[in-house]
Amino acid sequence: MGSESNAGKMCVLVTGGSGLVGRAIEHVVQEEGGKLEGEEWIFLSSKDADLVDVGQTRALFEKYRPTHVIHLAAKVGGLYLHMKSNLHFLRDNLKINDNVLQTAHDMAASKTTYPIDETMIHNGPPHDSNFGYSHAKRMIDVQNRAYFKQYGRRYTAVIPTNVFGPYDNFNIENGHVLSALINKTYTAKKDGTALNVSGSGTPRRQFIYSLDLGRLIVWVLREYDEIDPIILSVAEEDEVSIKDAVEIIAQSMDFKGKILFDTTKSDGQMKKTASNAKLRRYLPNFTFTPLKEAIQMTCSWFVANYATARK
Amino acid sequence: ATESQEAAGFHPNQKLKLVISVGDHSGPMRVLVTGGSGLVGRAIQHIVKEEGGGKEGEEWTFLSSKDANLMNMEETRAVFQKHRPTHIIHLAAMVGGLFKNMRVNLDFWRNNIYINDNVLQAAHEVGVVKVVSCLSTCIFPDKTTYPIDETMIHNGPPHESNFGYAYAKRMIDVHNRAYFQQHGRYYTAVIPTNVFGPHDNFSIEDGHVLPGLIHKAYIAQKEGKPLVVWGSGTPRRQFIYSLDLARLFLWVLREYNEVEPIILSVGEEDEVSIKEAADAVVAALGFKGEVVYDTSKADGQFKKTASNAKLLRYLPNFSFTPFNKALKDTCDWFVANYDTARK
Repeated sequence: MGSESNAGKMCVLVTGGSGLVGRAIEHVVQEEGGKLEGEEWIFLSSKDADLVDVGQTRALFEKYRPTHVIHLAAKVGGLYLHMKSNLHFLRDNLKINDNVLQTAHDMAASKTTYPIDETMIHNGPPHDSNFGYSHAKRMIDVQNRAYFKQYGRRYTAVIPTNVFGPYDNFNIENGHVLSALINKTYTAKKDGTALNVSGSGTPRRQFIYSLDLGRLIVWVLREYDEIDPIILSVAEEDEVSIKDAVEIIAQSMDFKGKILFDTTKSDGQMKKTASNAKLRRYLPNFTFTPLKEAIQMTCSWFVANYATARK
Repeated sequence: ATESQEAAGFHPNQKLKLVISVGDHSGPMRVLVTGGSGLVGRAIQHIVKEEGGGKEGEEWTFLSSKDANLMNMEETRAVFQKHRPTHIIHLAAMVGGLFKNMRVNLDFWRNNIYINDNVLQAAHEVGVVKVVSCLSTCIFPDKTTYPIDETMIHNGPPHESNFGYAYAKRMIDVHNRAYFQQHGRYYTAVIPTNVFGPHDNFSIEDGHVLPGLIHKAYIAQKEGKPLVVWGSGTPRRQFIYSLDLARLFLWVLREYNEVEPIILSVGEEDEVSIKEAADAVVAALGFKGEVVYDTSKADGQFKKTASNAKLLRYLPNFSFTPFNKALKDTCDWFVANYDTARK
């Protein structure tokens, strides 16, 4: 499995490098010694190339000649955006993934890793709310298996649960639940209004802090050799309800106002509990940042960086 | 649900199984058939031109890869702009039998995803009101109960031998639902079982089982050698004659108004084993030599029995060409056209 380019030097290209998870990996690599001597790590964003376009994707790979790729770039969004635009999510993600995978293959990148967000991936239809995105992401696993079968390429994928942290998209309409709630709470506190939570608050989620995910993705890149994907998540017993999450955020931001649940808004999927048993077999001693602490740090980051945060 | 979805009787939590009226289009149809020179395309051509399948004032255009490379978006758009279809029968695909699929699953996945995305998107852009795409019963889940029906497509992984092709075809159904949800487009699909007939690809390496057997038996007969059938002969298949499929395609184009796909197949009781099919080919060609089974070769999926209950609810009186007759006609065609047949 070695690489044919870069004369033995590891050159890691991270697509979606400016996003939530990309920034976390950057932090791990640059501030926590995640990067080893002689390695080059390049963090790309949509400013560098539009990966929906194969020509731009190729140009990027030709410029950097990576030996390894962490592929995070995707069209993503929260529940309500998905419900409106399944076609858009399906088409753009299919294109991005095919462009990145095929270009990586053509240029002999030896290992590529991607996040997917479903468990028991192919065993039945996904939730209706985001079927376009879901199918596109499932197809990464299909494509990985096909590259292995036809060419022996070791392309794999990770499956995080709900990610949050600094540098997220905090847009209230389109962001994911925690980031949107943080922004809403900030605004409600500032304006002295009630905090209006969309949905009933009863759905349950496992949340993974972006920095923890970043550390795990670097481990996957170096040590995880299977083609089958691996779930990166806190344990099942660490699943919380949306209502629990709201309370933690309110506490972190010292919000004292009223909290209301708008049950006319969709709840999305009630649960998607993932097992992290496979991860635990590999890394029995990995410690996740406690949820309250991670949310507190994210809220503090948001407040400190309000002007420039994506929203 | 949005207002327009409510008006159409659609609720997000409900399965997409309602009858809705086709998008507005007044005046005669301009129908474009992609993959028009292939097995099914030729059959549709025959029905339209020789059997009165086409109606007064309609325009039917049959495309082949010579007219456009549908894996290329610009070429796809250009050919659609040129013909400005109101309806599309989308048959173009990278296809092949068991052994080809096993060799190049990745290519089957990628090429078909490109073709399908280009065709559906270009169709949408140019205002096509209805697209009927072509799936296959080989895309259904491998671990399943029988018979298979239209609601089961995504209920589990497909057979390993052709997972690339299977997933790419499944994505047509996903695309259709998304085009309906996001744009109100009535794009749908049919699901034939194993198709055979004149103008097939009779390549022994790459073709499907019946044309492969016909070609092999022809050569065995010519050379005075045994007919070697790959596999054990025990897997079971429902076969549909291309001309029957074509007649049904025209009905779907004109009358079938669901976004959810429909299986086009003979009944479960008409399923035959590969051995029975080989025997029928031998009879049709008058082959007198020995028939042997090479069990070192893969069998593929053991069965994929599909239910045609939905089709029969719509068309209780449709009659399929009897298998032996259809096979005889196909063999006769192959012998008469040996030089030019694709092989």
